[in-house]
Amino acid sequence: MGSNTSYTRRRVQKILFRLGFLLPALLIYTFILLIPIVDSMRLSFYTGSGLIPNTFIGLGNYIKIFTQDVFRERVWGAFTNNIKFFLIVTLLQNVLGFFLAMAVTRPIKGASFMRKISFIPTTLSVLVVGFLFRQILNPIWGILGNFPWLGNEFTALPTLAVAVSWQFIGESILLYTVGIDGIPIELLEAARIDGANWFQEMRHIILPAIMPIVGIVTLLIYVGDFTQFDIVYAMTTTSGNPRFKTDLFGSLFYRTAFSTPARGGWGMGMGAAVSTIMFAVVAFGVGIWFFVFQRKRDA
Amino acid sequence: MKLSKRVVLLCLIAVLAMSMVFAGGDKEKGKIRIVTTSWRTEDVERMNRINALYMEKHPNVIIDFQPTADEEYDANTTAALETGIGADIIYLRSYDEGLPYYEAGHLVDLTNIIPNLEKFPRAAVGAWSKDGVTYGLPSAGVTHGVYYNKAIFKKHGLTPPKTWAEFIKLNDTLLAKGEVPIAQGALDDWTLYEVAFSGLGANFYGGEAARQALLAGKAKLTDPNFIKAFEAVYSLKKYLPRGYEALDYSAMLQMFASGQAAMFIGGSWEISTFEDMGADPANVGWFAPPVEKAGDRLQYCFHVDIGVGVNKNSKHLDEAIEYLKWVAGAEYAQALMNELPGFFSYTPADVKINDPLAAEMFKVIADSEPTVRTVWEKLSAQAPSGNELMGIALPGMMVDKYTPKEAAAFVQSQLETWYPPFKK
Repeated sequence: MGSNTSYTRRRVQKILFRLGFLLPALLIYTFILLIPIVDSMRLSFYTGSGLIPNTFIGLGNYIKIFTQDVFRERVWGAFTNNIKFFLIVTLLQNVLGFFLAMAVTRPIKGASFMRKISFIPTTLSVLVVGFLFRQILNPIWGILGNFPWLGNEFTALPTLAVAVSWQFIGESILLYTVGIDGIPIELLEAARIDGANWFQEMRHIILPAIMPIVGIVTLLIYVGDFTQFDIVYAMTTTSGNPRFKTDLFGSLFYRTAFSTPARGGWGMGMGAAVSTIMFAVVAFGVGIWFFVFQRKRDA
Repeated sequence: MKLSKRVVLLCLIAVLAMSMVFAGGDKEKGKIRIVTTSWRTEDVERMNRINALYMEKHPNVIIDFQPTADEEYDANTTAALETGIGADIIYLRSYDEGLPYYEAGHLVDLTNIIPNLEKFPRAAVGAWSKDGVTYGLPSAGVTHGVYYNKAIFKKHGLTPPKTWAEFIKLNDTLLAKGEVPIAQGALDDWTLYEVAFSGLGANFYGGEAARQALLAGKAKLTDPNFIKAFEAVYSLKKYLPRGYEALDYSAMLQMFASGQAAMFIGGSWEISTFEDMGADPANVGWFAPPVEKAGDRLQYCFHVDIGVGVNKNSKHLDEAIEYLKWVAGAEYAQALMNELPGFFSYTPADVKINDPLAAEMFKVIADSEPTVRTVWEKLSAQAPSGNELMGIALPGMMVDKYTPKEAAAFVQSQLETWYPPFKK
């Protein structure tokens, strides 16, 4: 019996010891992330003016969003725009980023220099990038102003996606080069001795080895894009010009929650509902990632 | 290596020296700081010069003008007021854009505070009042019309038009001579509605009388007179610059200021903007919105723009109210019109307008029927608001997404989902 209590005590001590390490992070996480998120979900069930709406209306805000045309159109519009935006950015940043990473890891003259400068755009502020692109695309004095890129409803969103990809492609290149550098040189040499060409080397050795990184890059792009606000703000205003064709969840939330109705605001309660939907979409995507990539790793 | 050390040392010394310069806070000790906020970040220097007049006479008070960018103004001001750190003096946009601050209980009832309130123009007082309570001092209004480049007009022997037919003919002439007639884009959602439609369209839909009928639910935007206004704006499409679909407000301004277009459909607040952008004031002319037929009375959009409220929870409420009374007086009115030509003070006082363009814009009021922007009052109280809908419909119309009729029908049908007089 004596040994049993001491065993239990040791166990408890061990748990407390571990908890002691976890507690600070847990507390900070709870107070600055978890509670606000839950509270904003709570707000989505209320209506009223000001920052803290106080009339409980149950699912009223959601019903409005999903049944009334003008609200549904906006939310659905932002959602589909976000998906398109995500697909274009993923394609550019992943595919182009991968090939560029392949290029800069080759023993070519200047490769290490290219590696370094490829990261420079990532260090710029999004506002600066947005401004730069707006100047380049300006119809009056921009060097690419021959076509109204930002005014045409089919090209506006892809243009924004290109700007974002241009800025963050350095991040993909960085992560991919790290992955490629990590592949044992013997493996590549063996392949070459066996007569593998450039494409086979990429297809059968490099790509499988860096698959986890592809997953992480895609996840980062996903979370970044579904919470993207800055580039819309910088290039096409929070109205997502032209006519909401570049409206993403971030700009939609900002406009609906914080503007007066006269400027496109829907009230804080509706804004909270929009942000809850946004949270659900992001959580869904991250969940899939965990399911696909993490489980694969465990298996 | 040696060099970089020296650079670091120099930087450190510079930082120290700077901090000493800025540490001169002692001067402010014992003084009361009144923070005022607005959405006009471009006015900091000019507002500081105006407020200096007040501080001269009230040496114990510092008036600190801290504007926020237009797009962020509502978000920032609401958040600051709700958390109790709002400015003492709050600038308010008119009608339903300023009303939420009062309804949320942040503003002082100014009905018995503003001196001579009964002598202020009634329409202006109404823009910041509800149920007999005035929560904002009607400070300034703005007018809408057309700026023109005098040199370009002179070069082609043109004179400012009086009627719409003359205006269109003038545009055709400019186009034929290879000029860009109008620096107007369709990217930003507000310029076409607030300035082009409300300013030039009012002559077609019948100005204030038509607007009142619309508010009362007796008229619809799909009525022939309003459709005419949509069509008038649409007819300007061929006079816009190449790539107008992607031309934003700042590029529009640049274009006119640098002489790349002959005209600019604008508001009176842009007088100083063009000046600050380097346009020669002597070369900038202005004419009132052309009337539909010769002999018509001008329907003039003289929009209620700036109201000034006092934060109920201000730590220096008495001083803030004292300052507001000064803002309501003649000295402020004169200073405002000197510093910010194109903002017309509502203060019932004898003030002189020194800027020639502003004087021209003001002179027109006497022979016109004043009105405000079409769907600003009441029709923008709820989502989807009239302002927002017009901001979708008009740019859409200019890129042929909607015909003028469809644009009008779109706004009307969306307003009918909530605006009570339309629902009956």
